[in-house]
Formats: sequence, C-alpha cells, structure tokens
Amino acid sequence: MVKFGIEFVPKEAYWKTVYYAVQSEKRGFDNLWITDHYNNRNVYTTLAATAIYTKKIVFGPGVTNPFLINPIMTTQSLASLDEMAPGRVVLGMGAGDKTTLASTGIEATKQLSAVVDAIAIFKAMLEGKSVTYEGSVFQVKGTRFNFKPRGQIPVYIGAQGPKMLATAGKIGDGVLINASHPKDIDYAVGQIKMGVKEAGKKMSDVDVTAYTSFSVHKKPEKAMEAASPVVAFIVAGSPNVILERHGIDLVKADKIRGALAKGDFGGAFGSVSPKMMEAFCIAGTPDMCNEKISRLLKAGITQFVVGSPVGPNVRQSIDLISELVIPHFKE
Amino acid sequence: MGYKKIVKMIPVEKREELSDKLLNYLLKTKNEKNMPSSMAKCFLSQWQTGTFEDETGLAVLLEATAVVELEKTTEFLEKDLHLADVAKAVKEAAA
Repeated sequence: MVKFGIEFVPKEAYWKTVYYAVQSEKRGFDNLWITDHYNNRNVYTTLAATAIYTKKIVFGPGVTNPFLINPIMTTQSLASLDEMAPGRVVLGMGAGDKTTLASTGIEATKQLSAVVDAIAIFKAMLEGKSVTYEGSVFQVKGTRFNFKPRGQIPVYIGAQGPKMLATAGKIGDGVLINASHPKDIDYAVGQIKMGVKEAGKKMSDVDVTAYTSFSVHKKPEKAMEAASPVVAFIVAGSPNVILERHGIDLVKADKIRGALAKGDFGGAFGSVSPKMMEAFCIAGTPDMCNEKISRLLKAGITQFVVGSPVGPNVRQSIDLISELVIPHFKE
Repeated sequence: MGYKKIVKMIPVEKREELSDKLLNYLLKTKNEKNMPSSMAKCFLSQWQTGTFEDETGLAVLLEATAVVELEKTTEFLEKDLHLADVAKAVKEAAA
C-alpha cells in the first residue's frame, strides 16, 4: 500500500513546524521530511523536537547534503535521533543545490562520488566500529563513536539525473524523486531499475518516492494560486532537458528566471503557465489531486510526498488530505 | 481572571469556530518572537495529547494567541462572536 509523506520547510519558529508534524501524524501520514537549508531553522533541532512530540511517524532530513554537513556529523545526528525515536528515523541525502552551496563558499564538485562516499561512511559508522574509508571526496581514518548506535537506518537518496537515480537504486533503501508528473517518474523508475538490477536487488526493496509540489483546496483556483510561486522557482531551477520533456517554452522559462533574479516576484509568478503547473505540481481539488496521484502510482511510486506549499492554508489542507485524499488510496 | 475561567464564559457552540480562528492567528503570526518558550512547550504538549476545542485546550490556545495576536483575538471575540465580556476579560488577563 502506498505511503503518504509530507515535507515541511522549517522557515518559521520551531513550534509551528512541530505543530504541523504532530497534526500530520494524527491525520494519518506515514512519513515526515524536513528540508535542510542553512538559511532556515536547523533540521536536526526541528527533528529532535518532532521526536519528542510524536510517537509513530517516520521522519528524517529531506534532504541533507554531504558538502555543507560532513557525513560524520550527519551520522552522529541520525544515530542520536534514533535513540530518541527508535526505528522511526530515516536519512534523506542528496547532492545539494549548487546555487545555495555557492553562497556558502562551497563548490559542489563530484556530486555523485560525494553522495556515494557519504552513504558508505554513514552505513559503516552505524556499525559502531572504527571506520577507515578512502573515497574520492571523503576519507575517514579510524573514526568511531564513543557510543553504540542502535543499528542501520534506511537511506533515501534525492535524485534527478540518470546516474544519481541508478546509484540510488543500487545503494539506497529509497529514492526521493523531485517530480510531480508521470513522465518524470517514468523516466526515473527506468533509471532506478538499472541500478537495482546491477545490485541484484528487487524493485520492491526500494521505496520509490515522488517528492512533489502539492497544493489542495476545495476551490481549485485557490490551490493553483498557492502553488504558482513554487512552480516559478522549479521552472527557474530546471535544466532545459526537463523543460523540453514537458514541452515548455524555453523563452518563457528564461523570462521567469530573469524576473526572479531581479526580485520581480509578481512578474515571475504571473508568468507561470498552465503547462508549467501541469508539469511541476499537483494542485487542485482533492478529486483532481487524487486523479494525478493515481497516475504516479501507475508509474511505479510507493511513497507520495506532499511537498510545499501543501495548500493556501497548511493546517486546513492537511485536514483536507486526511479526509479526502489518503482514504481514497488506503481504504 | 485565569484563562480557564475565561473559557467557561464562552458558549459551547462558539468554541469550535473560535478554536479554528485562533489556530489560524497563531500559526500565521509574524510575532513569533513574543511567544515565551514555556508557552510554546505548553501549546505543543496540549496538541500532542489533546485538542484545542475542549476547555483545557481552548484555554491554552487563547492564552498563547492573546500573547502574540491580542488585537486580532479580542476583535474577533467582540465583533464576530459578539462576546464583548470575554474580549474584555482576555485584555485584562493579557495586561
């Protein structure tokens, strides 16, 4: 049965994010993902508070990256969280956003190798033994914790490109695909399958997760209005190959990029076309969203993540999803 | 007057609507820095174990909202719910 996850960006006071986390657990979500950006509240303090106030929802960073946070510290954070909420912790690891990383003075090169190294170190250190590892990006020598981690923690890899997707299938317990359209999921599943085959695994060993931009409201125009700013940023950050896959005019995409770069948010959001909305978000009434989720399920996902903005009113949208979306797939 | 006593002044049929509105004020407030740490924990503990529609929960919610959005809270009580006496009591409790 499909799992439902939800993503929150900890951009507000911790108690608001934790309120939504508790609400999500009460309303039937299985997984909670907290984004990791240096310019928001810290992901691990948010997750620690979540651990205290929840009792069954599975949670983790969605996603962290090995460039800004050293893999040893990520392992320490997750192992510590796993003591607070035994068996409820997962790792979401990706290559990071190059633009954001550049603003911290970090040049994110050899992204695939960095993720592979980070996960190797993560898994080895969770064994609780002294670890020596010589990767092409990260190396550790005789590194060990002064405490015994509880054991292995499932690893989800944030992936979009073909190599990262295949690698995720090969070494991950799950894949977080930043996509909302069946075309992108189809493509991703094809790449993941190659990695799964190479590792001698089964597809059922991998939790194929669509990490979507989502907005629901009983009035579709309200849902769309809430989602269009997120879609503008997705269009601006998407490589041309993905825009072309959806038949999006590259000139229009450039116009949005230019407007965002100038801080003309009204111009950027106003330039989002229906085709862009269709490609990069799931927005509308619960029935409209259910139809689109069904298409992603047919494409092969096993977890559906409700990502930003969730809806024009996050609290009310969570309730709406609980009443009219999750039961559609679970009952 | 304490918030538990203030809540008793609110007719039962108006509590759900009030709770819904107060949660919106609280979760959308820009005055986050005014929320005392102890009150944030109390708010989350109540949410973890209960709701904000019963007397205990509504008292916690009303107190928290009065701290970060006093004007909106009292205006809603007075103008929308026509509970001027409750609005006055909240103002006095928050002072």
